[in-house]
Amino acid sequence: MSKVMSMKEAIDKNVSDGSFLFIGGYIARPPFSAIHEIIRQKKRDLTVTRSNAADGFDMLIGAGCVKRFIATFLSLGLYGLARCYRRSIEKGIPHKIEVEEYSNLSLPMMLMAGALGMPFVPVKDMLGTDLLNVKSFMGDGKYKMIDSPFDGSPILLVPALRPDVGIIHVQQADENGNAQMWGIGGDCRWGANASEKVIVSCERIVTRDVIGLDPSRTIVPDFKVAAVVEEPFGAHPGYAAGFYDVDFVFGSLYQQASNTVEGFKEFLDEWVFGVADRTEYTQHYIEKFGYRQFESLKAGFSFSPPVSYEY
Amino acid sequence: MSEHLNDYIKPELMACCGAREIKDGDRVIVGTGFPTMAANIAKHTHAPNAMMMQEAGSYDAVPRRPALSVGDPCLNPGAAMIGGLVEIMGMFLQRGWVDVGFLSGSQVDKFGNINTTVIGDYNNPKSRLPGSGGANPIGSLVKRVLIIALHDTRRLAEKVDFITTPGYIDGPGAREKWGLPEGTGPWALITNKAVLKFDDKTKEAYLASYHHDSSVDEVVKNTPWDLKVADDVHETEPPRLEEIRVLREVLDPNRMIKIYEGRGYV
Repeated sequence: MSKVMSMKEAIDKNVSDGSFLFIGGYIARPPFSAIHEIIRQKKRDLTVTRSNAADGFDMLIGAGCVKRFIATFLSLGLYGLARCYRRSIEKGIPHKIEVEEYSNLSLPMMLMAGALGMPFVPVKDMLGTDLLNVKSFMGDGKYKMIDSPFDGSPILLVPALRPDVGIIHVQQADENGNAQMWGIGGDCRWGANASEKVIVSCERIVTRDVIGLDPSRTIVPDFKVAAVVEEPFGAHPGYAAGFYDVDFVFGSLYQQASNTVEGFKEFLDEWVFGVADRTEYTQHYIEKFGYRQFESLKAGFSFSPPVSYEY
Repeated sequence: MSEHLNDYIKPELMACCGAREIKDGDRVIVGTGFPTMAANIAKHTHAPNAMMMQEAGSYDAVPRRPALSVGDPCLNPGAAMIGGLVEIMGMFLQRGWVDVGFLSGSQVDKFGNINTTVIGDYNNPKSRLPGSGGANPIGSLVKRVLIIALHDTRRLAEKVDFITTPGYIDGPGAREKWGLPEGTGPWALITNKAVLKFDDKTKEAYLASYHHDSSVDEVVKNTPWDLKVADDVHETEPPRLEEIRVLREVLDPNRMIKIYEGRGYV
């Protein structure tokens, strides 16, 4: 049974209403093609998580897909605060999502604990702050304070996370799902491996032999992967190291569009609902911004000396 | 004795103030903007062995253009080590290897607590802010926190609406009580009017130096707590010629730093 399929099929088969999703990638390799397909298929009541969320999560919230967010941060970075997120929390538009607040130490560690089959993990952040005073849907399960059974010192424990589905975009994968990534990782490796199953979208599908020429790059093994989608330009407007740069023009476009509910709706109508898939999205991008602009995003090239695993 | 420049903009001075707090050999966790500029000025002047890392995974990155986010593509080629959040926030930060961290906040109080979560009530906020991100662990675990803030009675507060990142919490002994590592905490609060340091005994921020276009009175008036003043309070040392040369000729020839004037750092 081939795992290679379209994004439409991958999302349809693996993401249901109410699913708990890890959606990897911060600036580096956000799986925007998958995010758009989730919105296109009008998935609802999702619990979503990732450290340092940005425009992709803002879009999911604005589109009404999200019920719960295990969060550390959500902002448009250079472009300021995330408008849809703010409207949801401040005004209940489209509805107020529930937020469980952690930080960029505890959340990656919770994903790592999940990936390693641990029930919980000790962390040294959040102490002495209001992050311990606010609890949402996880209630008392958000964290526990204990005295270390070894030396009696106070220890903060946070629970392991095991999302239903991990969705990541990487540079290359083989048809069985061995996924290879290079460059800044964020929490992709641990988030994907914490998940019960993984949707891998990649810039290119390569053969198993190519994977075998540098196995250290593999971050998710094939047996965890439910779907492999070959999706060039799949992280745009984020970047994929070695393939294309961040699209700052598009970032500014989203910031302006999402300033108002109407503008956000028009943005979705144009870039999500108005195109069937990422291929049509890319086509529309070229039509709107020109081929030159599209080409200008393409990464330069440099050779790293080849490595040999031979003995 | 270095010579000084008198023709500079406030953000340049603030970057220099940040640079001066970095010691040679320090490992520094940086975000974009001021932190990176300050760390780079330090690296090019008195702290050539200082090393930078960004929370998303890069260590000793050598960007050929200014990084516009902590995950920026320019941080990849040439870095010494690249991992992810667990490597930087866990292996480096939590294990205690990071000397200096820069933070900025929507609200900062007299104990150096920082709020980036909500303005107003958490359950019904006036303003929902981004959230902690890496700020809480950085404030909890680095040896010296350098805080960058706008100096006005809105941004500074007697007590923040929400403690996202711990400074000295509510006074002496608080960090220790909560089990935060010994020898960690806020070291300096650098604003567009002054440099504040933190009193060893009371853990409150006090006025160490005021910038050239300000004064002790002006700073005290614009600070919403009973601001103590150092016995040796003085005018902030202006940028040294070498610091400015590095900034204007090497790091930022397009003077992107001017953006900060537009954000109120005047």
